[in-house]
Amino acid sequence: MAQEKTYIEDIERTLYDIKNVDKSKYKSQSGLTEDIIRDISARKNDPDWMLEFRLKSLEVYNQLSLPNWGPDLSELNMDEIVTYVQPDAKMTGSWDEVPEDIKDTFDRLGIPEAEQTSLAGVGAQYDSEVVYHSIQEDLVKQGVIYTDMETALHEHEEIVRDHFMKLVPPKDHKFAALHGAVWSGGSFVYVPEGVHVEIPLQSYFRLNAAGAGQFEHTLIIVEKNASLHFIEGCSAPKYNVTNLHAGCVELFVNDGARLRYSTIENWSRNMMNLNTKRAVVGKDGVIEWVSGSFGSHVSMLYPCSVLKGENAKCEFTGVTFASKGQNLDTGASVIHCAPHTSANISTRTISKAGGKATYRSAVKVTKNAPYAKCSVNCESLMLDDISRSDTLPTMDIEGDEADIGHEATIGRISDEAIFYLMSRGISEDEARSMIVRGFVEPIAKELPLEYAVEMNNLVNIELEGTMG
Amino acid sequence: MEKLLNIKNLQVTVADNEAEDASKEILKGIDLQVNKGEIHVVLGPNGSGKSTLMNAIMGHPKYEIAGGSLEFEGEDLTELKTFERARKGIFLSFQTPEEIPGITVENMIRTAKQAVTGENIKVIKFRRELKAAMKELQMDESYAQRYMNVGFSGGEKKRNEILQMLMLQPKLALLDETDSGLDVDAIQIVSNGVKKFHNEDNACLIITHNTRILKQLNVDKVHVMMQGKFVAEGGPELIEKIDKEGFGFLQGAE
Amino acid sequence: MNKEIFSEIPMRTWNWLGVNEAVVDRDLLVESQNLDIKIEAGHQEKMLVEYRKESCGTVNINIGENAVLKLTQLQLMPQNCNHVNEINVVLEKKAKLQLVAVETGAKSFASKVNIILKGDKSQADVSLLYFGDGDRSLDMNYVLEFQGRKTVGNLEVYGGLMGESQKIFRGTLDFKQGAKQAKGYEKENVVVLSSGVRNRSVPIMLSGEDDVVGNHAVSSGKINEDKLHYLMSRGLSPAEARKLVLEAAFNPVLELIDDEALRQEIDSYIKERLENE
Ligand SMILES: Nc1ncnc2c1ncn2[C@@H]1O[C@H](COP(=O)(O)OP(=O)(O)OP(=O)(O)O)[C@@H](O)[C@H]1O
Ligand SMILES: [Mg+2]
Repeated sequence: MAQEKTYIEDIERTLYDIKNVDKSKYKSQSGLTEDIIRDISARKNDPDWMLEFRLKSLEVYNQLSLPNWGPDLSELNMDEIVTYVQPDAKMTGSWDEVPEDIKDTFDRLGIPEAEQTSLAGVGAQYDSEVVYHSIQEDLVKQGVIYTDMETALHEHEEIVRDHFMKLVPPKDHKFAALHGAVWSGGSFVYVPEGVHVEIPLQSYFRLNAAGAGQFEHTLIIVEKNASLHFIEGCSAPKYNVTNLHAGCVELFVNDGARLRYSTIENWSRNMMNLNTKRAVVGKDGVIEWVSGSFGSHVSMLYPCSVLKGENAKCEFTGVTFASKGQNLDTGASVIHCAPHTSANISTRTISKAGGKATYRSAVKVTKNAPYAKCSVNCESLMLDDISRSDTLPTMDIEGDEADIGHEATIGRISDEAIFYLMSRGISEDEARSMIVRGFVEPIAKELPLEYAVEMNNLVNIELEGTMG
Repeated sequence: MEKLLNIKNLQVTVADNEAEDASKEILKGIDLQVNKGEIHVVLGPNGSGKSTLMNAIMGHPKYEIAGGSLEFEGEDLTELKTFERARKGIFLSFQTPEEIPGITVENMIRTAKQAVTGENIKVIKFRRELKAAMKELQMDESYAQRYMNVGFSGGEKKRNEILQMLMLQPKLALLDETDSGLDVDAIQIVSNGVKKFHNEDNACLIITHNTRILKQLNVDKVHVMMQGKFVAEGGPELIEKIDKEGFGFLQGAE
Repeated sequence: MNKEIFSEIPMRTWNWLGVNEAVVDRDLLVESQNLDIKIEAGHQEKMLVEYRKESCGTVNINIGENAVLKLTQLQLMPQNCNHVNEINVVLEKKAKLQLVAVETGAKSFASKVNIILKGDKSQADVSLLYFGDGDRSLDMNYVLEFQGRKTVGNLEVYGGLMGESQKIFRGTLDFKQGAKQAKGYEKENVVVLSSGVRNRSVPIMLSGEDDVVGNHAVSSGKINEDKLHYLMSRGLSPAEARKLVLEAAFNPVLELIDDEALRQEIDSYIKERLENE
């Protein structure tokens, strides 16, 4: 019996590619100038220091060049990207007030249902402005703040000022600078000392207008001995013009606190996703990242954990699935800056139909971090011989008391495993997809149920018509 | 007596990894007929081709059928894919079962059962059956939620194979050294499992190097394979003879 | 001073890690001597390359069909010298290379090894030992490129670092499309003996072919405490115990050196360094 080679045709992504007629009432002119920044700032009613910050960032942006490593970004023409789009809706706390067409799109993404199923709050960003927002009352009573960044900037100005882009300074890289200049929207969460938020907080970000960039900022502060699970879900409709996403996530996990930050990114296949995520963790604190990257045309995403306090911990679990036309460069980095800090990185990457998946990581142990422990495990699965899978980890270790281990494998689905499943009556297609689902299962089981289901669906959609 | 498996002059080759394009002939003309209600045993030294026969019946893509015929319930098997053969009612207990990370034992068996029966299997009823079967094989229930054979001991993997056989209820069970690597008690448990499974409507083809598993089974026929051929055939008395004398007396036969 | 990029990582990463390229004095490259070698089809050869005096070099080798080469390269340069060395190998069908490399000398060195498994079923087994002490700087960039079918490449690296030494080891397994059923394995074990050390490892795996098996592993840590304890309980001093444990760690490479005298020389050289610590 000859082994047949199986090919993968991309299936219709209609469910995920819903788009509305562009009704945005305002679009900034193409390209990035000081005038545009001043204009954005004025419209957002920024305090003076924020305008200053934006202008400084613009300066940095103009000085920095594109990274000389990673995926090719030459398709990106910053002059063409409209950096700010404000939808027709105002801030609202009730579902009824959300305009019908926007609602329709959200409906199809299941947001209201998600809320009904006991989610604590929903902040759905439509284009660059948060249009819908709510939070459960008991959280408010406990002193938890969950709001959009603009509101936070006005109502909790001091906290924002103390933290905003302190972890990811604009000079970090060109897209961080861009973000600093044009950021808009995003979520702000503050969990006071000792408060445990029992149900996950959740937010959806979407991009709708053609050629619009999205620069939402997420700022989460979990005070001493408090805990939170925050879920970020992303999905965007498909457009022809290259879209840019340069969001920024800053997570402050204080002493003894715990934060789980879960994401499933399913950007449309024309998106350039250049997102920066960083967490700083205090003594005995824990940051847990669960990260799934499925969509986008190009991604550069490497959540970074700065383990600053003694005994701080990082758990990173990630899955990346690169298909036709995708170049997904993902991974993680960990900086050990204190004694007895520990990190565990576990990733799975899949590539098929000419997709390119890269795992890239950095583990840095400074002199101040004796007894640091870090273990990295990454496995890559290739579904055909026209795809690429690259693994590029770096370890930079100072001192003699660190214990660092790294393991990686690359390969394809074993013929023997398929034969085994087929000998139990399972068809070849199903056997393959079972094995792929099994491959990502360590990540799926870290996700809340509805997300695990969504991820499995994404895997199934990817594999449909693939084999046979 | 109803014919179940009918093999005539079966020749099987495998693409040789070392030689360039050559393929190596492993089975050199096998005749075998298994009827409903029978238990057959295949004995033979290491490397004689026993597992190859099993793999050929199951349709492993590496093993090419170079000649002869292979029929199941009067139907030609050679054009059928592995999973189609499984759905006809053939089951193979592997000599070295695969480890499959991420797929739980329960999920695996339920998916397989659905595939084989073509019916939607109800979770609650299925769980009950699975539990009962596991109890019979003295497997801890928690194994249902573990990934297929990952981190299982050699003996646990074999029990897991028999568990699948009991759950899938095939017409023909091919047991490839299911007893090797098992302790004395475990052999007894597996042997009980096979005994309970076997009835007038199904059949077993058992490969073993250890006759203990056969003690409480009514063996109908014994085949001795050497270098890709059956060199002797007979009743259960052959087992005893080989147990005592080894394969030596057959050396000249082939 | 005139600097030049001597070697580059096959795929760049964050610049702040400082591992993207090795920059050396241009003078070193000018001095460098070239050696071209062809191993005829079917032949079996052994070669020894030693760097002991002020010299830098490049060795280019073609190993013909079914030919076998065992190449041993020892870098035992004086402590005050800078040094670069380079090895480029192309293997034809079913050719075999065993490369044993020892890098224990020089104040600062950069070495570059590029092995192309071009012919089907060719195989390369590479064993590297490096040792750094004082304020020495070690830079290594090894690449195994799999082109042919059923090619096999193994890269085993054993290192010891003490004092304020700095080391970068980059090891790449690069599976090209078409290298069906290739197998690659890479392992680096580093023993770190003092707190002033900076140890950078970049194990890279690139693949444009699904029908391959690739594995890499790195471990870095201090000397195994249990082993030390065991040896000390038998009456060895901490220093003696450390020596013994390190010797055991390097043995997989040392025992591949055929010449007993050379093996002894390296062994006692490392021991001496340990004593000076
Ligand atoms: N996939 C394969 N590729 C190459 N040779 C094979 C392959 N499968 C089987 N062979 C060879 O065919 C011969 C028969 O192997 P087989 O596994 O059928 O023996 P066996 O009788 O089951 O032995 P044992 O009692 O050790 O299990 C052996 O020489 C074996 O090396
Ligand atoms: Mg066998």
